[in-house]
Amino acid sequence: MQIESTQELHAPRERIYAALVDPEILRRCIPGCESLELTGERTYAATLKAGVGSIKGTFKGNVRLEDMRPPEHYRILVEGKGIVGFAKGSATFDLLEQDGSTLINYLGELQVGGTIAGVGQRMIQAAAKMMAGRFFTALEAEAMSEPPAVAGG
Amino acid sequence: MISAQFDYVRANTLDEAVSLLAQNEDAKILAGGHSLIPAMKLRLAMPQMLIDIGRIKDLSYIVEADDQIRIGAMTTHYQIESSDLLKKICPLLPECAATIGDVQVRNKGTIGGSLAHSDPAGDWPAAVIALNAELVVAGKNGERTIKANDFFVDLLTTALEPGEILREIRISKPHGRAGQAYVKMHHPASGFAVVGVAANLSLDGDSGCQLASVGITGVSSKAYRAAAVESGLTGRTLDDKTIAEAAARATEGIDINGDLFASEDFRRHLAQVFAKRAITTAASRAI
Repeated sequence: MQIESTQELHAPRERIYAALVDPEILRRCIPGCESLELTGERTYAATLKAGVGSIKGTFKGNVRLEDMRPPEHYRILVEGKGIVGFAKGSATFDLLEQDGSTLINYLGELQVGGTIAGVGQRMIQAAAKMMAGRFFTALEAEAMSEPPAVAGG
Repeated sequence: MISAQFDYVRANTLDEAVSLLAQNEDAKILAGGHSLIPAMKLRLAMPQMLIDIGRIKDLSYIVEADDQIRIGAMTTHYQIESSDLLKKICPLLPECAATIGDVQVRNKGTIGGSLAHSDPAGDWPAAVIALNAELVVAGKNGERTIKANDFFVDLLTTALEPGEILREIRISKPHGRAGQAYVKMHHPASGFAVVGVAANLSLDGDSGCQLASVGITGVSSKAYRAAAVESGLTGRTLDDKTIAEAAARATEGIDINGDLFASEDFRRHLAQVFAKRAITTAASRAI
């Protein structure tokens, strides 16, 4: 499944980029993220308690950042599994400056398997969009409030 | 297919259910159990406690009160489907109920459970939006009323606060030349609405449309009011061209979901086709 969207965030591009590669900020912004720990160069181990409504699952997995060109581009790879299924995906983020705001174009490819894919297939896309929406809302708030960190990660 | 362990409590009154819910953060309300129990068996949902409201007597009813119809949250789909009162004064509800799942689901599943679950392909959300219903919810601080249009927030997410329970659905009786219809494309396996459209029209003597309410389910992450369709109908004479042009705007401004069964483009097309059918049928019923 492909997910493609553009999000406008009202914060400068450098700040958004810095926030996007800061594990502590990511942990606070990713919906349901309980831990995000550095395990290697730009590689993190993550625990996620994700869900909507009464449907919830705990996932453990890895996150890796690649192709980093601050402050305009990077790629993220994620894989995770839990008792209700597994997910694997990657996404590229391109950040454009626009009158003090930042436009983020993201293009992701997501594969989901297991129980959640079998019975929840019709809701996966909607759930992914909902999580992305929550993530960017939180990220914007973080980027507005945090002093700029050193970009590059 | 065996659920995780959970505690089970049967509430005898609504107050008791509200207080149990307030004390147990990870509890879920069990109504008809036809969405929650399957999810629990697959371990997609693992609540620590179920609070069964199925034995509370005064939650299952269909009554007239002044110019309203009031339906208790625990009223089953079948009770609505077979209600002579509703067939006479609000036929959209029985028509919608008859399309839900299969006989077993309709015998056990409830309108309140379905609304509170807010499945993106559930049938009731489209119907209550089209009927401009008011939903009465009970919580530890008393009751409040939520308009159907504000009730559905996002995927499986409603305006119910933690600790609140949906108690009653209130619908204003249709006036004058009213015409209603619910049409849907069934998913062949699950019976859920791939697309479902509820239309509720009020016409004047010359087939001019005084009021149009259209609710659509199955298309997006939640059921929605098709405002663009409504504005294309209101104040006009409902001929084929007007209906077709209005129905073509069924997904205007809406983020459409795709899945393996129906892509975004297919759903957009279905929404337009079924909106046209629903409006045409509703208009033909207005006498």
